[in-house]
Amino acid sequence: MKEKVLIANRGEIALRIMNACTDLGLDYVVVYTEEDADSEHVRRSLDHQPHGKRAFRVASYTDPNDILAVADHAECTAIHPGYGFFSEDFRFARRVTVRDRPLTFIGPNWEVIKDLGDKINTKRVANSLSIPTIPGTDGPIYNEMEAEEYAEQLMADQKAQKIKNPSILVKAAAGGGGMGIEEVREVEQFRRVYRQVQNYAKRQFGDGGVLIEQCLRDYNHLEVQLVCSRHGERIHFGTRNCTIQSTGRQKRLEAAPGFDESCFAYVFNAQEVLDRIVDYSLKLAAHVRYDNVGTWEWIITRDGQPYLLEVNTRIQVENDVSARISHIDGQHPNLIREQIRLALGDRIGYSQSGIEFKGSSIEFRIIAEDTHRGFAPWIGTINQFDFPKHDWLAVYTHVPFDRPYVIPSEYDPNLALAIVWGDSMAEAKARGRQLLREITIAGENVAGAPISTNIPYLEAHLDKLLTF
Amino acid sequence: MNQDIDFDAILSKYRSDPFDYVHIHTRHTGRVRFKVTEGAQVKGAGGEWHHLPGSLLFVLYRERNPKPIYSSTFGEVSALRRELEGNFVEANEKVMTIKHPLTKREIIESILRKVLSNFNAPERAKYFFAMDIQARIDKFGPRAVTIQPGDEVFTMSLMKRDIPVYYSGEPGIIHSIYFKPGISVGHGEPLIGVCPPGRLPFIQKIISRVKAEWE
Repeated sequence: MKEKVLIANRGEIALRIMNACTDLGLDYVVVYTEEDADSEHVRRSLDHQPHGKRAFRVASYTDPNDILAVADHAECTAIHPGYGFFSEDFRFARRVTVRDRPLTFIGPNWEVIKDLGDKINTKRVANSLSIPTIPGTDGPIYNEMEAEEYAEQLMADQKAQKIKNPSILVKAAAGGGGMGIEEVREVEQFRRVYRQVQNYAKRQFGDGGVLIEQCLRDYNHLEVQLVCSRHGERIHFGTRNCTIQSTGRQKRLEAAPGFDESCFAYVFNAQEVLDRIVDYSLKLAAHVRYDNVGTWEWIITRDGQPYLLEVNTRIQVENDVSARISHIDGQHPNLIREQIRLALGDRIGYSQSGIEFKGSSIEFRIIAEDTHRGFAPWIGTINQFDFPKHDWLAVYTHVPFDRPYVIPSEYDPNLALAIVWGDSMAEAKARGRQLLREITIAGENVAGAPISTNIPYLEAHLDKLLTF
Repeated sequence: MNQDIDFDAILSKYRSDPFDYVHIHTRHTGRVRFKVTEGAQVKGAGGEWHHLPGSLLFVLYRERNPKPIYSSTFGEVSALRRELEGNFVEANEKVMTIKHPLTKREIIESILRKVLSNFNAPERAKYFFAMDIQARIDKFGPRAVTIQPGDEVFTMSLMKRDIPVYYSGEPGIIHSIYFKPGISVGHGEPLIGVCPPGRLPFIQKIISRVKAEWE
């Protein structure tokens, strides 16, 4: 039977999955909410299109009953969760695959997601393999007194190590994507912050558990891109650096490879550290029998000490940053295509030595936000939106170029991902600057104020890439 | 605020068409099976705590998970899309209309919306009362809670960020609440109706007048 994929996501990732399905000769349908009716991924899939109706309205992207009802009605055979929403929910992955009419979950096996999708369990498994992790709790805390005792202990440990300005992070255990994380510098502030994070966690994630960790300073945030198959094959697509993030720890600029000597005089052997985190990532992947694409997130301190942060058991927004420095038979791979192919049971079909890493790439997340007001989201209507065309540039966006688009307030105001690449980091940066100058964007909010975007912020931070 | 309200004009509007036309949409996807026909009388949720469901309007069938949809209001089914029977429907598809006779309380609420000082949603977002206000409402009831300009009254949940919303308007008690926590409210829609202390007698007058004149 021909495979048909239900794309359970929105925005640019829905479009990238649609294109990957088309490339692989697979049929697909998309779901959407009322608020997203004007999104490009919906417009291209409505019933007036030659291929017929491919878009179905659901109550929410996180309503499994609605999504599965559409999958059954449209006779889909697989579900691609994209990133966010259900992508790291092992219960959803299990439900999709274990039912009267089983579907293929395009992602790792649900048991693997259970093992690694939960950052608390990941920490426990990593510790058991002697993979370094950040000092802190290895389970969610629900009790304020217990949490405070832990916080006091972590602060005392840092003072004992003579760490300047010690502090801790209070995180929503069920959170992700940088949401629900607050820093505490004085133990006296702890209870207030703990309650704030717990409240947020209950409201946003339905679980009030929090994690407490030592707050590391002066570090870089790196990622290792792995691709694994259901046949026990595991390869990597190098490292990325995503240190430049908003105050809410959302990534804004990301580059590959993870370190580049032209950007900073590291006090450690950069290549050695990159090789070490790749090896650690492959070791953990082998231990849990990882079987699809995934990203291993690392913190590297200024002196080159790596700590495993978490594993994202899904395709990541930035997957194409890795793809643009990778060459297989002279071509950039498409990791979303690889992900779908491997989930449907294919073998990888090439080995690690068949991947050549060459050059550098940078991704810009173009967002409607006010970077001077804590990255506050901007809501309004976009009237003009356009990008230049270059053979060193890829742009992914759900915002239409040919008509006005109202940014729905229910979702993040991400407008586009733009990836540039070049033979060196210097060339990639120069092309990045050119791109930022050439973007056309105009819009206004209900008060008539013009659109705020993070483009000036991105330009100002280009030189900080891969530095400490 | 003009306190010389033209009661006769307002009441005659309600007398000429004392109904609300409630359009029922599917909240979810699934195969629809109607349990009522056009012209059927339906009732809303009942019981002291509204714990008894209203009339069963239709069921959405999904894998091992049928979703019964009950009427939340009483009235008559005035329109029904019979062509959908047994078919797959998407979420938010209009399936029927209930002609609901307005009650005295609903008419009073509707008039009060026009005379109270409404505090409107600054953005389309989900709203929650601020922790302190919610605690006071839980303990004493909304009409015992007085708010002043500058008070943090709401938490606006916008694009997964919690943003405090400060009250601006006349000081007064929270007389009416128009939003449900966690449900999106459109930009400019009222969140609460605030009654300044000096306007309480006027509000009382409206309530008494409607109660006396409305059968």
